Amino acid sequence: MTDYIIDFEPTGWKGKCRDSESILACARRSGLGVISVCGGQGACHTCRIQVLSGILSEPTPSEIEALSPQELAQGWRLACQATPASNCQLVLLPESMSTSQRVYLEGLEVIVPPEPPVKAYHLQLTAPCLSDQKADANRLLEVLNEQYLIPCRKIDTRVLRSLSPQIRGWNWECQASVRGDEVIALGPCPTRPLGLAVDLGTTTIAGYLLDLNSGQTLASQGVINPQISYGEDIITRINYVIKSPHEGIRLQKLVVDKLNELASDLCSKAGANADAIVEAVVVGNTVMHHLLLGLPVRQLALTPFTAAASLALDIKAYEVGINIAPGAYIHFPPIIGGFVGSDHVAMLLSIDSRQVDGPVIALDIGTNTEISLTNGEEITTTSCASGPAFEGGHIKHGMRAAKGAIERLQITKDAIHYQTIDEAPPVGICGSGALDALAQLYLAGVIDNGGRLSHNHPRVRMKGNQAEFLLVDPKEQDGRSAIVITQKDIRELQLANAAIRTGIHLLLETSGFTEEQLRQVVIAGAFGSYIDLSSAVAVGLLPPLPLNYFRQVGNAAGTGAKMALVSLGKREEARAIASQTRYIELACNPDFKQTFIETSHIGRYRIKHGKREVLD
Amino acid sequence: MSGELTKAIAELEENEALRLTKEKLERGEDPRLILDESRSGMEIVGKRFSEGTYFLPELIFSAEIFREITEIVKPRLKKDASPKRLGKVIIGTVAGDIHDIGKDIVVFMLDVSGFEIFDLGVDVPPKKFVEKIRETNAPVVGLSGFLTLAFDSMKETVGAIKAAGLRDKVKIMIGGGQIDEEIRKYTGADDYGKDAMAAVSLAKTWLRG
Repeated sequence: MTDYIIDFEPTGWKGKCRDSESILACARRSGLGVISVCGGQGACHTCRIQVLSGILSEPTPSEIEALSPQELAQGWRLACQATPASNCQLVLLPESMSTSQRVYLEGLEVIVPPEPPVKAYHLQLTAPCLSDQKADANRLLEVLNEQYLIPCRKIDTRVLRSLSPQIRGWNWECQASVRGDEVIALGPCPTRPLGLAVDLGTTTIAGYLLDLNSGQTLASQGVINPQISYGEDIITRINYVIKSPHEGIRLQKLVVDKLNELASDLCSKAGANADAIVEAVVVGNTVMHHLLLGLPVRQLALTPFTAAASLALDIKAYEVGINIAPGAYIHFPPIIGGFVGSDHVAMLLSIDSRQVDGPVIALDIGTNTEISLTNGEEITTTSCASGPAFEGGHIKHGMRAAKGAIERLQITKDAIHYQTIDEAPPVGICGSGALDALAQLYLAGVIDNGGRLSHNHPRVRMKGNQAEFLLVDPKEQDGRSAIVITQKDIRELQLANAAIRTGIHLLLETSGFTEEQLRQVVIAGAFGSYIDLSSAVAVGLLPPLPLNYFRQVGNAAGTGAKMALVSLGKREEARAIASQTRYIELACNPDFKQTFIETSHIGRYRIKHGKREVLD
Repeated sequence: MSGELTKAIAELEENEALRLTKEKLERGEDPRLILDESRSGMEIVGKRFSEGTYFLPELIFSAEIFREITEIVKPRLKKDASPKRLGKVIIGTVAGDIHDIGKDIVVFMLDVSGFEIFDLGVDVPPKKFVEKIRETNAPVVGLSGFLTLAFDSMKETVGAIKAAGLRDKVKIMIGGGQIDEEIRKYTGADDYGKDAMAAVSLAKTWLRG
């Protein structure tokens, strides 16, 4: 039996696949959401893949029937039939992928030696008789104490309630899940203890199912946060809750239901039941964290933006309404402040920038962008109101990263080349596309470093008193509607740019560093993973460092949540990170306005003594 | 001939604007007219800013040009003929909010439009607005706020002005985030503005009437 590495394009996700395992099974484990209507029988032909490199097994009769000789020659195969015979690079067809909106799940896989909070013990009890009438629970604790030397004293009430009939059903043989000195779950032997890690974002929720003993990820899945129907940003959601307590409960229930669905979907992918999950970790921004826990959020929206509770919490899953093992806990890692949540702590935990000798900037770009500067053990953090432009918001033809969004763009002398998500006909432009557009317009001289559209370009036209640049001309697109970037869109992007670059600059300045001293810039999160770094540097969103100084780490918050899930040591580290972090409020910095104005320019520059020094 | 200076400022042609100012002074033109003409230029800058044609750096740059012109013209202004002011306006970001970029643009536009501005800064408690109204007798108050919860602070501030018996003496405008008629009603303000130019035209209407 051999394991091969399979690289799934266009996601770039890499996974291990046994030589006896189908590509479909491997893709499924990754949470890539490959459609297979027939359930992997080789009958429906929906799971087509194309081999870019590497060798797969010989085509099966179903494949020969489903695919023409030419298609087979071009490397087309069925994922449910093919097994690998070497490391492979494969392309998944857009129509074979079930995810309609892109949710970024992949983070760098970090190997953490498991030090799980919950351990499972195999127990063989002696049945009671008239001469041994010891109570069932006492009997169980006694074996744990004597056989495993576990000083276990407590049993979760819910476990107690079902203990007697269950243990008789299992003929006095069972597996006890123990957390600290408490029995939190009982099951038949042998059950693999599972853990659930969740990154609860404002827009998307990423869930991961892990084997607590090995630390291995068994399944992962991304879903849209259903609270989105109550407003896309956190402030709108806070307003709902302030209006009436019922709304708060409703928002909470939406997320709880979604998390339960996610847990059971993940478990079915791994062939388990949700009650096999004996521990969960949830990270998220402060508002998501508070809403899930039912904590008050009003004070988060007003100066001085204080959290209700920032310490790490261990709360029974059933108190939150999450249906996993009866006595399981959810661990909530600490948060830093009103604007910097446990997702940022988890990100810092996973990138381990404190090991780098020298200053590192780590940021997660969103409507609210959190930025940390680490220098060894010292961490300084801030957050900036970067606005929704990079998520396609406030942009005339902006959209989220979904099918048909322009995600890459290049302007050459005579044409505009673009790439859309799922290679579908263009319907709008998402954050990474908008950033490319800004960079390309600037590099092509269509906008100046102040961001003003030149009226001399043939694709610039006036609509009312507003200039706009025609990205997709209906004439070139069979009469499909035009896609433009307006002068106002450019202003929105400049504001987002300026907010983030100001944050980076002031963090460095308050800590006595310059951008040239940076050893690394770590960019986490969905937007940060898809952006073209050279565009980000060209427009001045990121400092002008060589591109190999930047690390795009994907969903690092999800990775950090996984680490905290399987390792008590990592939880301690997360506590240390949160308590060592100094939060600075940008608006209080006397240089804020001046820096903001300077950084609203486009181009490669450094800020020296409050002034821009243009490079090249 | 008149309009050249306005145009130079609107186009952000610093050297040209300063040259024209000096030329006009040498020709013995009324310094007050020069300032008026400069203000018209600044109004065009404001309009272009609100349309998106100009951006923050241009706004700052135009203010710099305007400041230089004022410096040149100032010595020629007679003491009694100090630049005529349209009226007093008190402005501040309400309690609980600290956003001031938008508010500063409004201050800037009101200032170049000829108003005398009392800027109370950010996170301003209702009491401070009341005190300033008493002190200056300003007939116009502008409340700024970006956070949605600032709407409550605006309402409280309007309430405090009313409780102090000053509500009939001032016109109150609000602005900031996503403000509409619904929010205006909620806060009890007289009117609202979507951008800095709207604030200027509101203040002008009120002070004329």
